[in-house]
Amino acid sequence: MQIGLTHYLTASGILFAIGLAGIILRRDMIIIYMCLEIMLNAANLALVAFSRYNSNLSGQVLVFFVITVAAAEVAVGLALIVALFRVKHSTKAEDITLLKF
Amino acid sequence: MNTSSLLAWVLLLAPLLSAFMIWAFLKPFPFLSQIVSVGACAISFLIAIGVALGSIHEPVTINWIDIGGLTVQLGMVFDSLSKVMLLVVTGVGLMIHIYSMGYMGEDPGRSRFFAELSLFMLSMLGIVVATNFIMMYLFWELVGVSSYLLIGFWFEKPSAANAATKAFLANRIGDFGFLLGIIMFWTFTGSLMFDPSLSSYFKGHPLVTIMALLLFCGCVGKSAQIPLHVWLPDAMEGPTPVSALIHAATMVAAGVYMLCRIFFVLEQSEQALEVIAWTGGITALVAALTATQQDDIKRILAYSTMSQLGYMVMAVGSSATIAAMFHLCTHAFFKALLFLGAGSILHVLHHEQDIWKMGGLWKKMPLTFLTFFIGTCALAGVPGFSGFYSKDTILEMVGEKNKMLFWLGLFTAGLTAFYMTRLFVLTFMGAPKSEVAEHAHESPFVMGLPMVVLSFFALVGGYSVVGIEKALGTTHEAMSQAAKLNVMILSVLVGLTGVGIGAFAYWNKQKEIVIFPLFKNKFYFDELYELTLLKLQQLLAGVFAWLDEWIIGFGIVRGSAFLVSVGGELLRVFQTGNIRSYAFIFGAGAAAILVFFLISS
Amino acid sequence: MSFVSVLLFVPLLAFIAIIFKVPARQAALGASLLNLFVSFWIYFQYDPKIQGFQFVQDIRWIQLPGLPEIHYHVGVDGMNLPLILLTTIVTLAAIIVAPEGIKRESEFYSYLLAISLGAIGAFVSLDLFFFYIFHEFALIPTFLLIGIWGSENRQFVSLQITLYLMVGSLVLLVGILALLVLLPQEARTFDIPRLIDYAKAHPLPISKEAVPFAFLLVGFGTLVSLFPFYTWAPAGYAVAPTPAAMLHAGVLKKFGLYGLLRVAIPLLPGGLEHWKSWLYILLLGNILYIGYVTIVQKELTTMLGYSSVMHMGYIFLGLASWNKIGISGVVVLMVAHGLSIALLFALAGEIKDRTGEIKFSELGGLGQRMPFISVAFVLASFASIGVPGLANFTGELLIFFGSWQAQPWITALAIWGIVISAVYQLRAVQSVFFGKLPAHLKDVEDLQGLAKKFPYLLLMASLLIIGMMPSSLLSVIKPTVEHYFSTN
Repeated sequence: MQIGLTHYLTASGILFAIGLAGIILRRDMIIIYMCLEIMLNAANLALVAFSRYNSNLSGQVLVFFVITVAAAEVAVGLALIVALFRVKHSTKAEDITLLKF
Repeated sequence: MNTSSLLAWVLLLAPLLSAFMIWAFLKPFPFLSQIVSVGACAISFLIAIGVALGSIHEPVTINWIDIGGLTVQLGMVFDSLSKVMLLVVTGVGLMIHIYSMGYMGEDPGRSRFFAELSLFMLSMLGIVVATNFIMMYLFWELVGVSSYLLIGFWFEKPSAANAATKAFLANRIGDFGFLLGIIMFWTFTGSLMFDPSLSSYFKGHPLVTIMALLLFCGCVGKSAQIPLHVWLPDAMEGPTPVSALIHAATMVAAGVYMLCRIFFVLEQSEQALEVIAWTGGITALVAALTATQQDDIKRILAYSTMSQLGYMVMAVGSSATIAAMFHLCTHAFFKALLFLGAGSILHVLHHEQDIWKMGGLWKKMPLTFLTFFIGTCALAGVPGFSGFYSKDTILEMVGEKNKMLFWLGLFTAGLTAFYMTRLFVLTFMGAPKSEVAEHAHESPFVMGLPMVVLSFFALVGGYSVVGIEKALGTTHEAMSQAAKLNVMILSVLVGLTGVGIGAFAYWNKQKEIVIFPLFKNKFYFDELYELTLLKLQQLLAGVFAWLDEWIIGFGIVRGSAFLVSVGGELLRVFQTGNIRSYAFIFGAGAAAILVFFLISS
Repeated sequence: MSFVSVLLFVPLLAFIAIIFKVPARQAALGASLLNLFVSFWIYFQYDPKIQGFQFVQDIRWIQLPGLPEIHYHVGVDGMNLPLILLTTIVTLAAIIVAPEGIKRESEFYSYLLAISLGAIGAFVSLDLFFFYIFHEFALIPTFLLIGIWGSENRQFVSLQITLYLMVGSLVLLVGILALLVLLPQEARTFDIPRLIDYAKAHPLPISKEAVPFAFLLVGFGTLVSLFPFYTWAPAGYAVAPTPAAMLHAGVLKKFGLYGLLRVAIPLLPGGLEHWKSWLYILLLGNILYIGYVTIVQKELTTMLGYSSVMHMGYIFLGLASWNKIGISGVVVLMVAHGLSIALLFALAGEIKDRTGEIKFSELGGLGQRMPFISVAFVLASFASIGVPGLANFTGELLIFFGSWQAQPWITALAIWGIVISAVYQLRAVQSVFFGKLPAHLKDVEDLQGLAKKFPYLLLMASLLIIGMMPSSLLSVIKPTVEHYFSTN
């Protein structure tokens, strides 16, 4: 069986759906965070696949950007979670609803 | 600019400087203030004499405003009209300045008094010499201001403060019409000058009646004609020299002077003249009737002033401007004299103004008695006194044009004689009716002197030797001697009847013999205005204020703010702060958009 | 550097000095005094015979993509020179009147200077961008002054005035942008003189001018409290600290009128034509409706706030007439009203400080205890009701004459305002200064010493000089106005 673009995109779509479902359903912020990473990587997968099949390198370049941003995000995000844990003693998302008026 | 031209400006500059100097520097030195003010008035008087003799000429005009077709000049006109008026204003003014030195001698605020008096002299002289409408309006408003300040001189008295405000507002309403009339005149002619040749621009125009009547509004306010007369009696709250100078001799007469000045406009409309004549006639009658029942010596004189002004206005309305000015001059002398006499009485009676508490003063105040007697005779129109001649001239001229007004005027003349006799008898004759009247004594010399001078003029002002009438222009020769004689005999008879009834009815009386509520209560004008105009304006203001507070302020402005906050309240329900629900809505939204585009493509 | 720029740099230097801990009051005083001299220098050096702008400075500032070049372009002519004099005079008076030893003193004086700087900047700017920005720059300290140093209810009032004026400014911005979009690409510029020349050469059809003009009218109108966008004014002035009320009512508010005079009507004459009947209705609302509302006010400062709203109606009347006489009257009355209302607010503040009362029912008889203040108040009142010999009279007279040519009936109705204003102003005089002195005011003190009286004397003298010699302003205004209308 020839592995084609459709397979990559399907895999990417499934990954993205898993990530989104995780963000919506899971309570623990760290899990939510990891789901976020899954979604980003789903996007990366799609980018690389398109890049490969369109013979255009811009997609792959964009992936590096995404990885960089994701790394920075993790750094900041994890730091925030740690800081929040110190204050709230919890990493549950529904405990942290400070943004409502 | 030559010297004579400069001198002419000193006429206005002297009182202006005096007012400014006193206000700025001389406040703590009342005596110096008096000297400066009286000096300034004397300088103006000397210049007025120079002007009258023809040795001082009209100065070069100054362009005050000149823009886009609107030219306002400050200049001076010295013609027969203004020359006579200048002499009267400065002459009577000087006498009253001198008198005030005695009358206001004890008042702690007399520096202020003299500053305001100088301000008044400035504005009054400005009106007299004005060459154009705006210059007249300018000083016209300024006399209103100085009158306001002087009526409210004893501002700590609520009644004085009320009277001052009332006077200014009544005048303002008149000035509203006056200003409209001026602007109309300007649109007709493109000029603002008092120039009879301009009348060709509006001759026969349908709006000329309206314009003439609007200009007349100014006079109605300033000269206290019905319906804007209510301020004048109240204005008696001011110090008596003020009543004499402003509210009897000069300022109130400015309305009549103005009518004479702009007669070239008025004469273009017969209807306007008719209205003016009737306004004057009715004012004369109503005021005289009211005066018969008043108890306050100054108010009686105030109503009599109103009545005499009515005569003058009636004369103007009958095209007899010279007669009006003639009466204005004699009236200025004898009415100022009467007020000074009244002031002299009040001065020694500690401001007791009720004539029913006086009496028997002839023995205690011989000089006041004598001068007041001359004034009374002049006003009542006793033959030989000045008022007789001028009033007679007016009656003659009115009789030529309108018989009804003639009889009305004649009846008013009788009433005048009657109420003046009543006043005179109750004040000076009989026995003293109160404690203070018992201990009366003569006023000081500074007050006596002006009264003597004025009584001299009140006595002789009517004779042609003095030449007031001649100075105003050629005397009229329209009537036959016989008709003239008839009028004279009639008016003498009526006058003597009035004196007789008055003397007979009030000799040695202790209280009013018969009361007419209508006259006693001044024809209920104050009450009428209170109930209608004031209430209406208050209602309007109240309704507007309510609209302002509740509809615009609360409803629209606060309402829109309220709507925004309600919207916010509604939307905040969706802001749970829970990141997972946000993510869900976000994901669902993204999916919806995706589906939408997939379907639509 | 042009002297006009000096006017802007002096307050800026004073700012910096205040940051470096120079005593705030002294720095502000020095700056405003210096500015007064500079403005008079400009006034005396200004040559009315030269047409166009003088003391011009034009520097290219920045080019934003898609926008015309923004220049720092300043200059004076007969229309803004009187306003500059007004600003410097009122600023000096306001800074002297400001209480010594107020809390957060350095901020307080900085904000006052900022209002003055912004007002001068807005008046002298010949570039639409700076014209708008300078005004916004002056508004912010006004809000802060009210919010921090105001009397009771200051938070609410400050919020209200902020929202109101910001919305007004926003509408104005939309109007300016709509105006620029209306022009063809090559004619788009921020330069006001070039825009005016273009508008004169290529008049637009009225239908196209109507919409942008409506935005400009409402925007500028809100800033000047045009009926019915005025509710911020009485409340704001009642709460504002005295110097802020003086500067805003006296000076900054004139920006809206100046904007109509300088920008909106010259660029969109057809817009004025289109909306004229509405404008007349609104300005009658200002004069008659607000006039009657003013009569029944119960507090001195609120009444003065309403009265200043009412007097704006006259200025709109002059603007609507749009002829030589009316426009000259507009400029004179802007200055005159600025001086008189600043004087009135200063006196009201003084009365409030000295008696602790501001309700008419609690005041009375102060003439006995405060001779100087009562004389000044009476003079200012007479000025504001248009008594001859004081500046306002000239302005009102010119406006009435000019407006009569355009619209006699409306003008006749508007002139009734002179009676209404006399009613409320004299009522105020009577209930504050006349009558019996209530027991709780037995010990109030008058102003003592020349230094304290100076700002009042300055404003009174200005009113008197302009009133007695209107040519002092008209000689400057006339050539500009005549030049404008002659080439039209």
